[in-house]
Amino acid sequence: MNTRRDNGSGKKDLGEVIVITSGKGGVGKTTTTASLGAALALRGQRVLVVDADIGLRNLDMMLGLENRIVFNVVDVAKKICKPAQAIIKSKKSNNLYLLPASQTDDKDVVDEAEVRYVLDQFRREFHYILVDSPAGIEQGFRNACAGADSAIVVTTPEVSAIRDADRVVGLLSSKGIEARLIINRIDFEMVRRGDMLSVRDVQDILGIEILGVVERDDQIISAANCGEPVVYNQKSKAGQAFTRIAARVCGEQIAIPSFDGGSLWSRITKKLGVNA
Amino acid sequence: MFNALKKKLFGQSNESKDTAKSRLHFVLVQDRTGLTNEEMAGFREEMVKVIEKYFVIDKEGFDIKYHRLADTTTLLINSPVIVRRATAPAAKAARVPENETDTETAAVASNV
Ligand SMILES: Nc1ncnc2c1ncn2[C@@H]1O[C@H](COP(=O)(O)OP(=O)(O)O)[C@@H](O)[C@H]1O
Ligand SMILES: [Mg+2]
Repeated sequence: MNTRRDNGSGKKDLGEVIVITSGKGGVGKTTTTASLGAALALRGQRVLVVDADIGLRNLDMMLGLENRIVFNVVDVAKKICKPAQAIIKSKKSNNLYLLPASQTDDKDVVDEAEVRYVLDQFRREFHYILVDSPAGIEQGFRNACAGADSAIVVTTPEVSAIRDADRVVGLLSSKGIEARLIINRIDFEMVRRGDMLSVRDVQDILGIEILGVVERDDQIISAANCGEPVVYNQKSKAGQAFTRIAARVCGEQIAIPSFDGGSLWSRITKKLGVNA
Repeated sequence: MFNALKKKLFGQSNESKDTAKSRLHFVLVQDRTGLTNEEMAGFREEMVKVIEKYFVIDKEGFDIKYHRLADTTTLLINSPVIVRRATAPAAKAARVPENETDTETAAVASNV
């Protein structure tokens, strides 16, 4: 949508930092960070994924890199190692790197200024830096948002996740960070039965731009078991969904199917028209 | 309680997502405005009073939404109008049905 590199500004060498957040835990932030990171790398973008969930390291396992960790994000923040020493190259892609979280420290061992410092060490090397936020809206969340150019808010179509997402969107907007939404784990059969909120319902309630919709898909769990992001399995619906999301992040216009009558775009246009 | 609310709002609907929607609307207004239950009820009551000075309205259909678009937040007050009051000075602005049983909706929008 607005990659800094493409807009011809003087800062063309600086990567875009996107925080992946949600408020509620277990909705798919880490899955999204790993899958979107891998999908962007497949498009030839240089990507760094940062695990900001200090104390509850996860992203390393999603990427199958848990055995290769030497240094971590706290070591970079405290200048215990050189930035380049802490990042780990993915087994599957030369474009994808991980900056792991520390597993032994507390969430508030680093502050927002230190996080900005860490990100600045990598902005020149990468096109995209995706920061996987911990659940909650406390220090860990604030750290993950520090230095972010924009945010991706992940929610499931369930009441508690949507309520938390709404809270997070409000907090991000008060920080001046624009948020786009990924609706994860939707089950279109349940939507058809009227037992799950539809894409349109969630869009109506939260009122922010939808970046993508990912179906509930068992392939995500097998992919996590093997430490290989689901986008390497293009037969899976979730893999295809994250591939489309990566294309949208890079600025491609791909319509989002709403599966409940009318395309989402006509809906949005109508909305804007009414409110103009 | 919510089943009763659901019935009222959606007739015979037994789709659980409609319950989810109305519960979310209810709770998000509180979350977004930071108003307590009582304050919200007070606000609602006073709004109804103001509108009733000028219109006969269907109080059952009266609804307050706190609606967020990309970069603005809007307070939407939705009120089905049964008929205007004869002497209402503001009535010219609203289209009033000939037939008194029809209802029109007065929507008051305000950017917050
Ligand atoms: N679309 C999906 N379909 C099925 N399972 C999913 C999906 N997205 C996430 N999961 C599973 O849900 C669990 C929580 O996901 P995770 O990404 O760790 O959430 P978070 O980082 O927000 O806590 C994981 O076990 C993951 O495999
Ligand atoms: Mg996580």
